[in-house]
Amino acid sequence: MAIVEVRELRKQYDPPKGVLAVDGVGFAIDRGEIFSLLGPNGAGKSTTISMLSCLLHPSAGDALVDGHSIVSEAQAVKEVIGVVPQDIALYPDMSARENLAFWGKMYGLAGTALRTRVDEVLELISLVDRQKDRVEKFSGGMKRRVNIGVALLHRPKVLYLDEPTVGIDPQSRRAILDGILDLRAQGMTILYTTHYMAEAQELSDRIGIVDHGKMIAVGTHAELVRIVGEEAHVVLRVNRHLEGMVERWAQVAGVSQARCDEDHAELTAQDADAVLPRLFEAAATSGIRITEINVTEPNLEMVFLHLTGRALRE
Amino acid sequence: MSRIVAIAVKDLRSTLRNVPALVMMLLAPLALAALLGFAFGGGESFSISATKVAVANLDSGDLGGAENAGTEVAGVLGSPGLADVLEVRNVTDGAAARRAVDDGDAAVAVVIPAGFSAALFSTGATPAKTAVEVYENPTQEIGGGITESVVGRALLGFGGARAAAAAAYGLATANGAAASAGELAGLAAEKYMHDGGAAAGIDITQRPPRLPGGESTKDVGVTGVILAGMMVFFMFFGASNVARTILDEDRAGTLPRLFTTPMRRQTILGGKFTSVFVTVTLQAVVLLVAGRLIFGIDWGRLDSVAALTLAGAAVASGLALLVISVVRTPGQAGAIGAGVYLVLALVGGNFTGTAASSGTYADLQKLTPNGWLLQGWDAGMRGGGIGDITRNVLVPLLFAAVFFVLAALRFRRRYA
Repeated sequence: MAIVEVRELRKQYDPPKGVLAVDGVGFAIDRGEIFSLLGPNGAGKSTTISMLSCLLHPSAGDALVDGHSIVSEAQAVKEVIGVVPQDIALYPDMSARENLAFWGKMYGLAGTALRTRVDEVLELISLVDRQKDRVEKFSGGMKRRVNIGVALLHRPKVLYLDEPTVGIDPQSRRAILDGILDLRAQGMTILYTTHYMAEAQELSDRIGIVDHGKMIAVGTHAELVRIVGEEAHVVLRVNRHLEGMVERWAQVAGVSQARCDEDHAELTAQDADAVLPRLFEAAATSGIRITEINVTEPNLEMVFLHLTGRALRE
Repeated sequence: MSRIVAIAVKDLRSTLRNVPALVMMLLAPLALAALLGFAFGGGESFSISATKVAVANLDSGDLGGAENAGTEVAGVLGSPGLADVLEVRNVTDGAAARRAVDDGDAAVAVVIPAGFSAALFSTGATPAKTAVEVYENPTQEIGGGITESVVGRALLGFGGARAAAAAAYGLATANGAAASAGELAGLAAEKYMHDGGAAAGIDITQRPPRLPGGESTKDVGVTGVILAGMMVFFMFFGASNVARTILDEDRAGTLPRLFTTPMRRQTILGGKFTSVFVTVTLQAVVLLVAGRLIFGIDWGRLDSVAALTLAGAAVASGLALLVISVVRTPGQAGAIGAGVYLVLALVGGNFTGTAASSGTYADLQKLTPNGWLLQGWDAGMRGGGIGDITRNVLVPLLFAAVFFVLAALRFRRRYA
């Protein structure tokens, strides 16, 4: 059952000639699901989150969060969501505990309930030992953890995370991703935006790929990969001219497609591991030595490339 | 309510840690007021140093038995009533008087020519011409102006006497009393002079200071007027500085994050307003105490002082929020805010006071919240109580409410 239903959401800044940041985006997120919005910078991910956080009025469309409209019931929506903004939104001159206590009050907590919850969140983000230190003295990863902790104080039903791992070290990133998986295990619904394909692939139950404000594909990882087929992509370079060689490789068992592209050959195969020895054998038979091999398993990068004609990181 | 307090406490702590802003808020108005106060003589009343005048009275005539006209003019210049503004010294001749000015021993020289009385009261068809010379240092504009004015006023009296004499002479001649005409004219001139001609013109009467509800006998020192103006002016600036933290929070992302919490927009702005209000009130209290201790200013009754301080803090806070709501960057806030506050200060009378204002300028002052506040402070310092300054408190509070509502509407456009 969907806890978030986004219907034809649209945002144009300074209409009628302003930038159309989000153009009729629609998707649904089931309870307890991690749904990722994957797209390059400027695709409209953050604007979508801002509208779903009731920070921006949609130019058109609506979304229901736990049954409440973001347009007409903003206060009710804010009660059930936790928002982790892309940038660190904390008070640097206050300690981790003071920050959590302040934001807890903003979410309506007080007294013993507030103190208890702050203790729990400090435990959750593993900063009990550093709770009295000013946030400005923290590393990027620690700040990110406090940033996330703030959004968890009031036990939201839906957590929005807007690129929460940008600019941090691999160890902190790992800790954050594990933490998000733990939250999902506890039943929390999560909307996650990222431009890191691997994160979306690892975390998400379903993924929405956005580009230029439009949702261009939605589905599970497997469903999306199927768009470009499930075959591996093999690129080979050799020490001599390729003429005649590509035709021989095309006849190797397991190779479904082969073509010559200037100084290299591009092949597709169902099982790259099984095919590679046969490709070497065919090359050796023709007196050609393979000097470089590049195997790419089907992934979201290829899906994005397939759908937009551009690489995700462009 | 607890959320408003939490936001205000958090902001206050941040403000109190900002030492440069505190210095700007507290020391700048004190320093400016001190400079202006000392420039105008300091203390409780306005004063300028007396102008040194060298008088050479060469007149030897007489007014029909009384003193001569030159002695009259010199006497007016040296009269006790003008002792605070003119320090007169008699010299023997015109050259000595001019030399005193050239040497810097005097700012003004007054040379009354020989035969001044005779020329003044000459009878006949064509009266003789005469002139009193006022020789002054052009850089001593105020002293020169006062001296010219006094001499002119005295000569005006002689002009009246001369007219009376001419009329008497004409009348006597027309009636065939030519033999005694000169004597008659002299008597007429003398009577004019003694009955209130020249001497009466120097008597200046000041009106007592007024409260909105009536007159007051209590005088307000120039330093008090200046510091009140500076205090109100810097309350607006102080509020602007504190409110600028809203823009800092906007850039840091904490303000948008506040708007994602389940709080009403008015609660967030209420917290911001409260922090600005408390800070500006503290600023005013420090200035009031410093004004009392350093300059000895009597700010008036406690109820008036409290009401005006709180009303001033409220309107300064409301305006600061409004200015911040229409700008995007601290730079814009500084430029636009400074312009707004300066225009308000110029129109409202922060640099001139409101007691002496009249006509269109007085009407313009009432279009500004600071004009109302300054009028209230003036009345308060003259002993007015809360009943005398009710409008001076309520109007700024109304301004504050309007500014707050407009700011809330502006923030609604920025954050859904």
